[in-house]
Amino acid sequence: MIKFVESIFQNLSLWGLPVIMIITGVIEFGLGLYENKWNKNERILDIVCFVIPKVVIRPAMVYFTLLALPVLLPGFKGIFSWVPFFWGFFIIAVADDLTQYWYHRLHHQLPWLWRFHRTHHSAPYMGMAMASRQNLLYTIFFSQIYLTAALTHLGLGYAALFVTGLKSLITTAAHSSIKWDKPFYAKRWLHPVAWVLERLISTPATHHAHHADTNEDGVGHYKGNFGNMFFIWDIIFGTGIITRKYPASYGYKEYKQEEWYAQFLWPIFKSKKEGSELSANGPVVADELPENADLTFKTESLTPAAI
Amino acid sequence: MKLQKETAQKITRDIIISLFIYALPVVLMFLTFYITGEKPWDKKENIAVQSEIKNNNR
Repeated sequence: MIKFVESIFQNLSLWGLPVIMIITGVIEFGLGLYENKWNKNERILDIVCFVIPKVVIRPAMVYFTLLALPVLLPGFKGIFSWVPFFWGFFIIAVADDLTQYWYHRLHHQLPWLWRFHRTHHSAPYMGMAMASRQNLLYTIFFSQIYLTAALTHLGLGYAALFVTGLKSLITTAAHSSIKWDKPFYAKRWLHPVAWVLERLISTPATHHAHHADTNEDGVGHYKGNFGNMFFIWDIIFGTGIITRKYPASYGYKEYKQEEWYAQFLWPIFKSKKEGSELSANGPVVADELPENADLTFKTESLTPAAI
Repeated sequence: MKLQKETAQKITRDIIISLFIYALPVVLMFLTFYITGEKPWDKKENIAVQSEIKNNNR
């Protein structure tokens, strides 16, 4: 049984997840969940962001990390291989996901970092197609990848295999336009499970709120809900709202349909769209919504029946 | 657009809290070993010594 589960996670990390994403993306498209918003510019951007990191960037990063770690941490290879699986899993899950929470949060809260993450929020739809939609530099500096690679070098690789597999499934499912969490809110007897789930992990409801184009409807919370695998970080730091509704519209109000190459490769390539944040003389952050009001943990969006 | 002072303070406060959260699983692990008397690192050393002896005898 253990070998079977192990083989699932091994295949998931090699080819399983991209295949799951492609199949889900085709189903979403077939069901019309992209609502005719997937125009040529969005299609090219989504496909480039899906393919280039998997084929070129990630393998190169892994290769250089494997070369660099024995030099940076000489004599430390496998020194923590005695750590029992349960504790290794716990250590990696916290280290990896908390680091990604911070990487993500800082890209929203430090104005000079916003444009590296903007591409992920520009899509006016949710779905598999934009789960990997990121600026190239955001992908390259994905900090928790290096931390997890270092912990793998130190001997926690077996636990990392399961954490990264589980995390990929949770985060891609949270981006999907297939709202898998809906039955948990609809059936009263499932409410206790929903209560735990929405506090522990990112669900489509809480993560879609992060991709909403407004904060004013009581559902959207695009300057919060930064958690990726775990939502618990948003609860601890007061940056989240828990909602069981889905935003009416997604994306970014200041989006000017910038060219796919500018979104993928800014600041190497700039947008020609006037006034764009990605243009040569554009504003750093065009959206000036005050953040103070958002930084408290709220549950107003829960319906009375849901609480 | 500048970083607001209040946001900067919250970031600093939360980073300090995060350092404790990073350490928590490691602290809990060693606390469990202390309570149960387990020493899994000894097992690993024994296995390493045994395999070295085997290699020397070949």
